[in-house]
Amino acid sequence: MKTRILFTLLVSAALTLAACGKKEEPKTVTAPAPATVPAPAPAPAGIAVSSVTAGKAIGADKKVTAATDAFAKGDTMYVSVDTTGSGTAKLDAKWIYRKGDKVAVVKEDSMTINATGPATNEFHVSKPDGWPAGDYEVEVMLDGKPAGSKKLTVK
Amino acid sequence: MSEEMPDFSNVNGGSSSTATKIYVVVSGDSLSKIAKREYGEANEWKRIYEANQDILKDPDKIYPGQKLKIPPK
Repeated sequence: MKTRILFTLLVSAALTLAACGKKEEPKTVTAPAPATVPAPAPAPAGIAVSSVTAGKAIGADKKVTAATDAFAKGDTMYVSVDTTGSGTAKLDAKWIYRKGDKVAVVKEDSMTINATGPATNEFHVSKPDGWPAGDYEVEVMLDGKPAGSKKLTVK
Repeated sequence: MSEEMPDFSNVNGGSSSTATKIYVVVSGDSLSKIAKREYGEANEWKRIYEANQDILKDPDKIYPGQKLKIPPK
């Protein structure tokens, strides 16, 4: 009788140890069947910049008439910014001068527009005593986010 | 020796648009001053007044913070 009880206990212990040593298999998560993907929501109406052009002159339509990135000392520098869409947005232009690793802000301007469709906007800068020769850049921002830039030179 | 950066303090700038601009009035502004700045002609103030008759009852009374529509030139 004692032997039988001892045998039963040993078998139980062996089975318990075997169960403890068994690795738990990672559960496989079955992805649910894909539901019908909803169509993306239409982009909210708003203004976007479609092009940025630099030049020495603009027309009555605010578009640059003589596109260039090279200017002379006495030129007025223009940047024309075409926008699409409708609504209200803030446009900023930051004119920068670079000399080696140094940077100077030449001028910053901004305007808020209320467009009902495609529009052309312009910023310009001039310097009565002439521009120092060197490398310039104009950065255009739309509602505080970069929307385009142009590198310019004065010779 | 470090190189001096040029002086850009006398740079003139401006902007215009084919869309209506929104201008926020600041202390010391008048419609004539705004017209001079936006159109280059002070006597163009009537254009601004006419475009803002929904909020302006008297062209001599504009207030800081008012948002005026500036029609395209």
